[in-house]
Amino acid sequence: MADDTTASHRRDPIKSSVGSVAGQRRRQNAITVGKERRESLVRAKRLCRVGTNGDSVDPLDSEMIIDEEQPILEAQTSAAVEELKSAAAHQGKGAWQKRVSALRELRRLLSRSEFPPVDAALKAGAVPLLVQCLSFGSPDEQLLEAAWCLTNIAAGKPEETKALLPALPLLIAYLGEKSSAPVAEQCAWAIGNVAGEGEELRNVLLSQGALPPLARMMLPDKGSTVRTAAWALSNLIKGPNPKAANELIRVEGVLDAIIRHLRKADDELATEVAWVVVYLSALSNIATSMLVKSDVLQLLVERLATSNSLQLLIPVLRSLGNLIAGDSQTTHAIIAPGNEITGNIIEVLVKCLRSEHRVLKKEAAWVLSNIAAGSIEHKQLIYSSEAVPLLIRLLSTAPFDIRKEVAYVLGNLCVSPITPTEGDGKPSLILEHLVSLVVRGCLPGFIDLVSSVDTEAARVGLQFMELVLRGMPNGEGPKLVEKENGIEAMERFQFHENEDLRIMANSLVDKYFGEDYGLDD
Amino acid sequence: MEWNPQDLHTLSQCFVNTLSPSPEPRRQAEAILADFSQKPNYGLAVLRLVAEPSVAEEIRQAASVNFKNHLKARWAPAPNNSDEPRILDAEKDQIKALIVTLMLNATPKIQGQLSEALVLIGKHDFPRLWPTLLPELIGSLHKASQAGNYASVNGILGTANSIFKKFRYEYKTNDLLYDLKYCLDNFAGTLLEIFLKTANLIESAANAGGGNAEALKPLFESQRLCCRIFFSLNFQELPEFFEDHMNEWMTEQRKYLANSYPALENSADGLAVVDELRSAVCENINLYMEKNEEEFQAYLNGFALAVWNLLTTVSQASSRDQLAVTAIKFLTTVSTSVHHNLFAGDGVIPQICQGIVIPNVRLRDEDEELFDMNYIEFIRRDMEGSDLDTRRRIACELLKGIATNYKPQVTNLVSVQIQNLLTSFAANPSENWKDKDCAIYLVVSLATKRAGGTSVTTDLVDVQNFFGTVIVPELQSQDVNGYPMLKAGALKFFTMFRNHIPKPMTLQFFPDLIRFLRAESNVVHSYAASCIEKLLLVKDEGGQARYTSVDISPVLPQLMTNLFEALKVPESEENQYVMKCIMRVLGVADISREIVGPCITGLTSILNKACENPKNPVFNHYVFESVAVLVKRACGKDASLISIFEINLFPSIQKILVEDVQEFYPYALQLLAQLVELNRPPIPQSYMQIFPMLLSPDSWRKASNVPALVRLLQAFLQKAPHELNQEGRLRQVLEISNKLVSARSTDEQGFYVLNTVVESLDFNVIAPYIGQIWSALFTVLQSRQTGKFIKCLLIFMSLFLVKHGSTNLVDSVNSIQANLFLMILGQFWIPNLTLITGVIETKLTAVASTRLLCESQMLLDAAAVEHWGKLLNNIVTLLSRTEQDRVEEDPEMPEFSENVGYSATFIRLHNAGKTEDDPLKDIRDAKEFLVTSLARLSALSPGRYPQIISQYVEPTNQAELLRLCNSYNCQIV
Repeated sequence: MADDTTASHRRDPIKSSVGSVAGQRRRQNAITVGKERRESLVRAKRLCRVGTNGDSVDPLDSEMIIDEEQPILEAQTSAAVEELKSAAAHQGKGAWQKRVSALRELRRLLSRSEFPPVDAALKAGAVPLLVQCLSFGSPDEQLLEAAWCLTNIAAGKPEETKALLPALPLLIAYLGEKSSAPVAEQCAWAIGNVAGEGEELRNVLLSQGALPPLARMMLPDKGSTVRTAAWALSNLIKGPNPKAANELIRVEGVLDAIIRHLRKADDELATEVAWVVVYLSALSNIATSMLVKSDVLQLLVERLATSNSLQLLIPVLRSLGNLIAGDSQTTHAIIAPGNEITGNIIEVLVKCLRSEHRVLKKEAAWVLSNIAAGSIEHKQLIYSSEAVPLLIRLLSTAPFDIRKEVAYVLGNLCVSPITPTEGDGKPSLILEHLVSLVVRGCLPGFIDLVSSVDTEAARVGLQFMELVLRGMPNGEGPKLVEKENGIEAMERFQFHENEDLRIMANSLVDKYFGEDYGLDD
Repeated sequence: MEWNPQDLHTLSQCFVNTLSPSPEPRRQAEAILADFSQKPNYGLAVLRLVAEPSVAEEIRQAASVNFKNHLKARWAPAPNNSDEPRILDAEKDQIKALIVTLMLNATPKIQGQLSEALVLIGKHDFPRLWPTLLPELIGSLHKASQAGNYASVNGILGTANSIFKKFRYEYKTNDLLYDLKYCLDNFAGTLLEIFLKTANLIESAANAGGGNAEALKPLFESQRLCCRIFFSLNFQELPEFFEDHMNEWMTEQRKYLANSYPALENSADGLAVVDELRSAVCENINLYMEKNEEEFQAYLNGFALAVWNLLTTVSQASSRDQLAVTAIKFLTTVSTSVHHNLFAGDGVIPQICQGIVIPNVRLRDEDEELFDMNYIEFIRRDMEGSDLDTRRRIACELLKGIATNYKPQVTNLVSVQIQNLLTSFAANPSENWKDKDCAIYLVVSLATKRAGGTSVTTDLVDVQNFFGTVIVPELQSQDVNGYPMLKAGALKFFTMFRNHIPKPMTLQFFPDLIRFLRAESNVVHSYAASCIEKLLLVKDEGGQARYTSVDISPVLPQLMTNLFEALKVPESEENQYVMKCIMRVLGVADISREIVGPCITGLTSILNKACENPKNPVFNHYVFESVAVLVKRACGKDASLISIFEINLFPSIQKILVEDVQEFYPYALQLLAQLVELNRPPIPQSYMQIFPMLLSPDSWRKASNVPALVRLLQAFLQKAPHELNQEGRLRQVLEISNKLVSARSTDEQGFYVLNTVVESLDFNVIAPYIGQIWSALFTVLQSRQTGKFIKCLLIFMSLFLVKHGSTNLVDSVNSIQANLFLMILGQFWIPNLTLITGVIETKLTAVASTRLLCESQMLLDAAAVEHWGKLLNNIVTLLSRTEQDRVEEDPEMPEFSENVGYSATFIRLHNAGKTEDDPLKDIRDAKEFLVTSLARLSALSPGRYPQIISQYVEPTNQAELLRLCNSYNCQIV
């Protein structure tokens, strides 16, 4: 008796450690150290080469001399700042024309090259002058040129962006409805660049009240302004603190504007808006639940189905994934099997899995893994879709990061959902799915993950191996695992520094391949 | 407290004494230090001593070791079961403020200790609780680098490397990424700066004619550390900074693989320094290849070429193993990646096979040396898969990697190679024996596992044919000591392919295997033992053992003799392979009286020798298992043999218990328990002398002894209940169980004792104590509602009921306080009944509950109908639903790792194990028992129960009850 109670402890030693992740939704990490894989453009900061209202481009600028020697450009820039200095000091008749033309010269120099002479401008003392040029009551043309100069200074290196600090209150002030559209947009651009620099500057902008006026700029339908504002906002609410995202979704009209733009806008604007949705859904639970209840899911799916623009597809897919990873109850109600949208979602995800683009494949697999963490019906839906053969192939042929995401999908397909009443952490198996996936050759792919250098991938691999060991009928599990060199893969963890993996692997080895005393009578 | 100069002097004197060669002052000093270390600011005081230049170096060294250990024990928050004082925050802050500077200025040995101490602190405090560390390190690094002080640079980089290592193994959580981002933001730029600066210094030295080795060495060491930090910082994902600067990083790293540095490489251990850097580079590119192959692609060809060239020039010298292994590993990663077509070119695979694989698989002088000098390490690598870091193994892994995409080419190529090697051997066996070894190694290493557990297969050769022509000649060689490495290879092949060799053929060579047990080579007789051991585990289709006692009977005496003889060969005195074989043979063979005598004498003498100085725990375990299996199987056949065992084993067991040989203590108790259980009462008097030890609270103090003590106590309770009830022993037993139950970590063990008490003793014996038992248990219940405790208590009460009747149970509980039982029933028993798991436990609690339901007057009373109904409802739930459906997670449940696994020192002896006893053997089916009992009860007052049932039992359970009645043909009227 007594011993048996101990035995019942031991019977499923790894159940909690193995079960808990498979079957769970995974949100993407809020903090990232890698490059943002947005698109080929440098997204976070943008140089303004062509004016926001298009017509302020001088004929001369259109033949930009890109090859101009950098030292010459720098010397010209220093001279231009000097010129601006004297123009700013100049009072009286023709003063503002003088200022505007000095500003324009500086702006042209700062817009000419891929590598604008920001350093020279700063050293010559451009920022205080530009701030001065932003003073209230200045004519629009002057404001525009000054903001443009600041925009391109902010597009530079981190410390160059930081140099804008004294200009921020004024730039924010011109975002309001009282400014002319081109001025407001140029200021939004400059602010977008500052926000793109990092958390510290974002916090400064937020504390100075940049968010509400920027958000209101998203409400109209005018393309260019909305696009710039949306882009700047997406930089501003990046977090990792969710406060800004929470604030944005509460601004009246923003949700409606997002829906409207996603429904009607061209790809370019939709792309920027989708990035706003990405950060809203990644960071704010309130936003997520509001978005899920709106038409946004539907619109995202339509965009995915109809567009071929990678720039657009990436944020749209990411948004869809965030929403599905987020508010599970609502999501489940909407993407219930049988609803039209559910079939459409699977269809667009299959499209993405088939795509040439690595990012799309990876993110589509991630979204599927979260749907596969849902109810039995969701699992069956994916299981019987076209996704499965694709996933199986990807598991053995795709690059590492995709294989890892695919493993989460396939693993989730094989475990029952954990309901509150049986939350002992040990998911029960969906035997039919497990057997079929194993027969179709999935196991080696998972064992490869166990052997990989990535700890999370190893964990998924071990979890799947546990399912195989426990679940395959007729005790086939251990044989299959041994055949595919699973024991060796696990033995790597015998003394691993990651305690969780070490215990999982060691207990699996002990339990299924332990010492065979062979003496049982 | 403040430490005054006098205290510091005392401290310093203590450290002097800890170095004393005579034990007395040493122990005393250690005791004083242990005492001091309880006081606040002790760590700080020791650190001051370490920093005090006027104190002698060796004292400061001793103090620095003590400081590190003090931090290790007391920096982190206390584990649950410890009340050792922690270092206070104020003291921690002071230590953190001092340690970096102290470390950097210390002499090398002290620096090592302080660096370890710093890493210990960093583990808990870095970065969030120690924001000044990284800026301080970076500042010092810049200063040292500017001054060209590479001793300092490397000290700082080494520390940084240790602190960043956590990024290599922890899970990617937001917290970890936050820390990583912090490190990247602050350190990545500096790291690259230092790396490039050092690279320039190396390059200009090379351009200026090579430079001198002593000056170059620290530069290469510095680059190695930078590369290791690179590895840590890049492990989780590719950071933006490193992606932006990939070109700088990769360009320099490739140089170290492609260039040679004669000035350094030709100096003493200079080559090793360069190779270590090269290995670090290989690790880095391997990481990129695995995880960031897209971004890395532009550099792949350059690196592949550099690695390839490097491998063709890396000599066989063992000093370059590490480099060869990491370099081949990189090629292996490439071979299985999406860029495997690098290998598709004409002639690439044959070149790899000939230029890289075969040379690395061939035996080297170092392998021969290892074979002779350190057989355990040789076997670990050769046979047990601990060779992941050997050239032989990794070369085979490369072949397997290439074969994932180019299987036919690889198979053909290797088959031909194997034939060539064998032909070469045949031409001149004594000269070319290593070719044969190489051939055997290739076949064994490239064998693929077959579904079917232990079986392997190969498509390189025909196994039976290869066995007959290549292996058998070695097995039949009359000289067991000639060409021992070939013999070992042959035995290994036999072991690996044992399932393929037909039984008659195996039996034909069985005597040869026994012969090889007498080989002088430790590896050879170990492999022979291992081969026999594994053969005895071979199962045919259907799970039947292929070899049985009949097959080994004819050779058994010779086999046992040779096994015990093998243990006399120098170095094999504690040979675990031989001992395991002994255990296995005793588990299979027919144990006759003739075998018992020599075996128990042999084993006892080994045991006694092991007691002197327990060294090899695996060997020791098999010794005890062998004894246990011998006892079990011999007495199973002939109970009278027990006295032989008692005579032989008692002195050894006594020695272990009296001399307190900790390693063997739990084993000895388990053997004793086994002997007690095999005895027929009355138990011989000789056992009674164990009681004082068993019942002394001292014995129970050590947690690792508790399970074995419980096991022994249970054995005595069952076999000698009468003796236990004498001289106040029962009271002592109950005190022990009480103590065990009251501690969370041992409560289960306590219940095991209690269960055995109520199971083995009559009620009138227990009656005087039972009231106290209940009060103690219910007191614990009020404060500890863990699932484990609840289950144990419910099982205990159930067991009490089925052994001593419901009236005794109810009355004894109520004797503490009127109507207590009804309260316990309603608040504890009924709600928790559905949580019971385990077949025996479920049956027991269900039957006990049923009896309570149908026998207890208290429950049959009209006032108790609600309890009655709910109890019935939960009995039906318990019996009709699966465990998964009704049992919820118990968040309090300790992780299994606390109970079993790798830290526990208690190791169960499989062969001395207790057989599970069902306390209710006469009741076959709890469901049947339920419905027949209910039918009988309801017949006494028809009409009463259906009404209660419809009121209190859930509809689904009502239906289930009805179904049960139908299937057992009963009726509740």
